[in-house]
Amino acid sequence: MKALTWHGKRDVRVADVPKPEIVNPHDAIVEVTATAICGSDLHLYNDHVPSMREGDIIGHEPMGEVVEVGEGVETLSVGDRVVVPFTISCGSCWFCENDLYSLCDNSNPNAEMARKMMGHSPAGLYGYSHMMGGYAGAQAEYLRVPYADTGPIEVDSDLPDEQVLFLSDIFPTGYMAAENAGIEPDDTVAVWGCGPVGQFAIQSAWMLGANEVIAIDRIPERLDMARAHGDATTIDYEAEDVYDRLMELTGGRGPDRCIDAVGTDAHGTGLTAASDRVKQRVHLEDDRPYVLRQAIKCCRKGGTLSVPGVYVGRVDNLPFGSVMNKALTVETGQTHVQRYLDPLLEKIEDGDIDPSFVVTHRASLDEGPELYEKFNRKEDDCVKVVMTP
Amino acid sequence: MTEDAKRVAQDRGATDLRRATDAGTGSIADRMKRTAVGALGTALVVDGLRQRSLGGTATALAGGWLLARALGGTDGIRRVLSSETGVGRRGAHWTESSDATAASRSITIGKPADELYEVWRDPEQLSRIVGPFVEVTAVDEDRIRWTVDAPHGREIAWETSFVAEDPGELLRWKTPSDASLPNEGSIRFRPAPGDRGTEVTLSISFDPPGGTLGAEALDKLDVVPETLAGQLLARCKSLVESGEIPTLEGNPSARGKGEFL
Repeated sequence: MKALTWHGKRDVRVADVPKPEIVNPHDAIVEVTATAICGSDLHLYNDHVPSMREGDIIGHEPMGEVVEVGEGVETLSVGDRVVVPFTISCGSCWFCENDLYSLCDNSNPNAEMARKMMGHSPAGLYGYSHMMGGYAGAQAEYLRVPYADTGPIEVDSDLPDEQVLFLSDIFPTGYMAAENAGIEPDDTVAVWGCGPVGQFAIQSAWMLGANEVIAIDRIPERLDMARAHGDATTIDYEAEDVYDRLMELTGGRGPDRCIDAVGTDAHGTGLTAASDRVKQRVHLEDDRPYVLRQAIKCCRKGGTLSVPGVYVGRVDNLPFGSVMNKALTVETGQTHVQRYLDPLLEKIEDGDIDPSFVVTHRASLDEGPELYEKFNRKEDDCVKVVMTP
Repeated sequence: MTEDAKRVAQDRGATDLRRATDAGTGSIADRMKRTAVGALGTALVVDGLRQRSLGGTATALAGGWLLARALGGTDGIRRVLSSETGVGRRGAHWTESSDATAASRSITIGKPADELYEVWRDPEQLSRIVGPFVEVTAVDEDRIRWTVDAPHGREIAWETSFVAEDPGELLRWKTPSDASLPNEGSIRFRPAPGDRGTEVTLSISFDPPGGTLGAEALDKLDVVPETLAGQLLARCKSLVESGEIPTLEGNPSARGKGEFL
């Protein structure tokens, strides 16, 4: 079958690879009908995620049709149309039973590797390094879906793929970020990063009762999208000082809730940003925590910092004294996608939101490598790519 | 595992060993890294001092810190991953150089102790837990025979007998002292708080107490007791909680199919 495979820094190729097969009783095989490129795929593309191997299939935002099920699968049948969450969760461990699906104890075959790195292993993910499970990714014609009774959500309605596809990751991720922020009436919510997750965090902040939403980025079309679809006040961080502008907009209090929808590859300005870039390049630092530092500085005393952006390892110069002395609450984690599937599908079916507003590029898998490059460079107004195998 | 897969895995083990060595403090790449960061740090110090302002002082301090860091050297996560766990492995176990011949690990499993005790008393279940690289057969009620493929088409086999049995609390086993791979182990169970199930501690020891035979055999088999204990517990937990053990068997990539490619 055809798949997009990782071969090193900024080297994604279309490859002919073996078709996946059922190997465990709760597996299903899904024929992929739509699969997106995620902002977090760019962390792989730029080679910032350790334990990738040349030839790995990447991608983790798929939907499609079930074409085969293992003998233990009870809730899915061949022919079902499903959206597949990017988190692989067993459904039976203590974490899954407590709706903490991205912390599943059983789904990472390389748990020992993750444990050495982080102390404990989170759930396995599709196409996101060997430390995170080593599972083949979803930018392919077919995908093996383990624990098929716990992951995929069946979509019966005739909504087009583009409207439901983002239940796999970015809509729940933006929603959980807003939920984690603990938004209360009269709160101002600041969202760093107006990529797809940021856009859904903005939408979700309104759904959860924000009084005002401020969006921060530097790319004009992304700021436009945040204004047009997200009704947000925007700050171009290259044109204005973010701290000064946020203080002006909030009467000096600072945003009550701050969301870092950028993560490890923050750009930023000035010396600290430059220093992060150098240190990351020579592996003295794993992430570039520019946004994290800025959000800590800007956040209202006693406020919340919610981090959906992916970080991979050690960050430098984190002002933890500010976190402590300003009594900030920090909430983070990979998304517990399964927790949000039903309620968010309902919002889509009820017409409360049409997630397809983020899609700017539609293509085939063959065009994948070219689109990775475009998306990475943020060229051609590229915000979200959906591929049809 | 096929001969080809074995060869690939062994080759990769060698590559990883080199990579781990390269990450050591004396390597050229590492020195270059430090030089680059040191240069940046120095530049910032000079630039900062020139500015003679608060911002300049901050720049100088940042530069000085960077310089100090470059001189001191730090471990990146890539180094931790390549040297501690290795991307390469043979069989079910991570490649790691270590002299340790004993280890103890704990895990919490969401099942009652009695049920877990029975699992560790049952050769059939043990066979699934240890995986396809070890053959497990019952010799009689109290003895189990273990057979492992060693490199160059050889086999290492030994028998263990249960020497202490306290249902729901403790199991202990050992080999005769003249076994080809003398070893002993125990597994203990105690209730975890609330609805969390049972806390399980597995202790294993090869060639006790601290002889060289065990270490040599472990080295040949690429077994690190600490990692082995952790993997056995994790596989047991997955099996009893979810009814299967997570696997990359048949996993496709541009390298081919399966976890060893």
